Amino acid sequence: MRRAHHGWRFRATLAGIYAALVAMPHLLSFSQKEIAVFLVINVLVVVSYRLLTLTGEWSLAHAVLMGVGAYASALLAKRLGVPVPPAMLLGAAAAALVAWVLSFPLFRMKAFYFLIGSFAAGEIIRLCWKRFREPFGGPKGIKLIPSVPDVEIGGLEIAFFDPVNYYYLCLAVVTLSLVVLHRLEHSRIGLTFHAIHWQDRLAESVGVDTRRYRTIAFVIASFFAGLAGALLAHYLGTVNPNQFDVEAMVYVLIWVIVGGTATIYGPILGVAALTVVNEIVLRGLGVDQARPLVYGAILIASILFLPDGLESLGPKMKRAFARIRGPHGQP
Amino acid sequence: MTMQLFQKKIGRRTFLGATAAGAAAVGGLAPMPAAAATRTVRIGFLAPLTGEVAAWGLPGLYGCQIWAEKVNAAGGVRIGDDVCTFEFVSYDNEYAPEKARTGATKLIFEDDVKFIMMLGGDTWPAVQPIADKSGMLVSTLLPSDLSPDTGTLIAPCEVHPIYNVTGVWWLADRMPNLKSAVICAQDDALGRPSVATYLAAFEAHGIEVLDTVFFDLSTTDFAPVMTSMLSKNPDILCLDTAYADYVHPLCEQAHQQGFKGQMISCTADFYEKIVEKTSKEFMEGFIFQFPDFDDPALGQPGINFDAPGEFYAEYNKRWPGEWGAVSWEYASIMDLWVQGAQRAGSVEPQDVLAGMKQGGVGKHAFGDAKWWGKELFGIDNALVGNWPVVVIENGKAVIKEMRNIPEWWAMHGDLLVKHFTEMGEMYHQRG
Repeated sequence: MRRAHHGWRFRATLAGIYAALVAMPHLLSFSQKEIAVFLVINVLVVVSYRLLTLTGEWSLAHAVLMGVGAYASALLAKRLGVPVPPAMLLGAAAAALVAWVLSFPLFRMKAFYFLIGSFAAGEIIRLCWKRFREPFGGPKGIKLIPSVPDVEIGGLEIAFFDPVNYYYLCLAVVTLSLVVLHRLEHSRIGLTFHAIHWQDRLAESVGVDTRRYRTIAFVIASFFAGLAGALLAHYLGTVNPNQFDVEAMVYVLIWVIVGGTATIYGPILGVAALTVVNEIVLRGLGVDQARPLVYGAILIASILFLPDGLESLGPKMKRAFARIRGPHGQP
Repeated sequence: MTMQLFQKKIGRRTFLGATAAGAAAVGGLAPMPAAAATRTVRIGFLAPLTGEVAAWGLPGLYGCQIWAEKVNAAGGVRIGDDVCTFEFVSYDNEYAPEKARTGATKLIFEDDVKFIMMLGGDTWPAVQPIADKSGMLVSTLLPSDLSPDTGTLIAPCEVHPIYNVTGVWWLADRMPNLKSAVICAQDDALGRPSVATYLAAFEAHGIEVLDTVFFDLSTTDFAPVMTSMLSKNPDILCLDTAYADYVHPLCEQAHQQGFKGQMISCTADFYEKIVEKTSKEFMEGFIFQFPDFDDPALGQPGINFDAPGEFYAEYNKRWPGEWGAVSWEYASIMDLWVQGAQRAGSVEPQDVLAGMKQGGVGKHAFGDAKWWGKELFGIDNALVGNWPVVVIENGKAVIKEMRNIPEWWAMHGDLLVKHFTEMGEMYHQRG
């Protein structure tokens, strides 16, 4: 009974959040709508990154694999004339394929060595984009990438140049992706990821092929990162190697660390909170040049005072209220 | 961030009073009829104000602030039936395409700007669809952004990297005994076309290029880069269009590794600090392309930048040690924009563009210039004329000569096209 009640409350909360997300772009200014598009895309980046962290490994190649999806989708659409929606999926698949190839050398390493190895692998890919002007466009990258084609539904023309329409497209794609990732985490495979994270030797002793499961997590995470890259490329109309450099990766790490990785909504909280602070609050205050300083201070403060991320704030507050109310609900 | 451009400080009054008359002259101000309506025109400034490329954005915003205060103090400029004062609205694009797109959207649709000034480069392609759809006039400092499909983009001030030919041209005339060079550049959209230009210029003037070293943007240790360059034993070290964060350590390394030859670079931003880190003797004769505006050569007839000495003094008073390559450039673009708007009698972007290009000529900061670029960029949207050759003498930048870029192009244009093509930098080869 209690469990059913909890489930109903959860679904109602989720419905409320989605109603707010659907209504949100109509309450925002023009530039905030643009920020909302990039925020939704970044949500997919951080949540997909979390999937890999479930196995206990932290990669520095995630931003580059996002770039693989962006470049592949852009090239397929621009050079080969593949329609944009299938090009996006193929771009994501390309990122997964590259991750699978990288997994052979990378998963010979663990922990810190894997981290450094993934950084090196990512830099090799990124330098290839810079070095090989054909087909990657060199340092300037690729521009005039075809956008998602306009569609007409019942006489209503939907142009994806409009940030509101693109926001809804991204919201739909990201929601579907989150559902897949959520179900995966709570499947047998996901539980194995957790087991590998906390007790990899024990998991191996009972016959779990830890390397195989790490590869699965890496490939799936890269698929969704690639999808996020494709969404970005076809909206911006341009990709270049600098967009996916180590600085971009540092931002992904910061969002995930500040948000927390224990739950799927931790990284989402991280990216949403920091984007709002950086792009709306600090810009709104007119402190453009001081933003890196203020942003850095917020990060340090959050890591010092919320080491388990923003996601731990809710339970902490709940416990604090419980303490105030006493053991029998009396203040 | 919106700059309120009448910050009242006593120190500025002298400057404003002394230059108001000059501003009126530049702005073509006639006595204002009593009935003329006054309006404030908003101009967008969409450039990196933070991060590693900020040195080519932020000093330009400072320069615009001085420009606007001067023009506004003179009562504004008459455009059509209105008297216009100016307000700059800036947006830090962090040299990132997505931020540039967001910034362009904000400036055009929320701030109602009539013109946007950008650094360009990586950020322009993300802004292009917005500019095309809205018809917004945008300027870049990098003409390599130009192509036949960038009808609303102009390069009215800096024809980077084409003006670099003037430095090599002057060097070859003055020091004909120097016969070999090594070039280094960061591997990006600024470095590569600049390398193509230096290769063309060196070839045109009989200087052999022994090696070209590209380094990544993440490079922090320049000792191996310099060692590799010096191993070729060149007469000339060419630092291409390296960012200030690279030029400084490269010079330090050249100094530490005992280089005694000639150095040439596109920029030498904050060169006083390089002199401090090395020595006056080491930096003596260093050639680059961006003058200090207190240079007497800028007082000569034919220079269209109004009161450059006062501008430079005011700039240094407010932001000591911050004078750089772009400090005056965005302000000089505003002079050209005002000329275009006055010719058109309107501040609307397409009218101003037509006004600016009227007659195919414009009053560039360094002298009258022509709209050019079809052969190299596929569109005549770059304003090209004279450019100064600057040499460090006794720790101070000195203009040695103004040289004419179209004149060089007439003699050696084929070489520039050849090297741009080999580097994949022609407009039809890009992206």
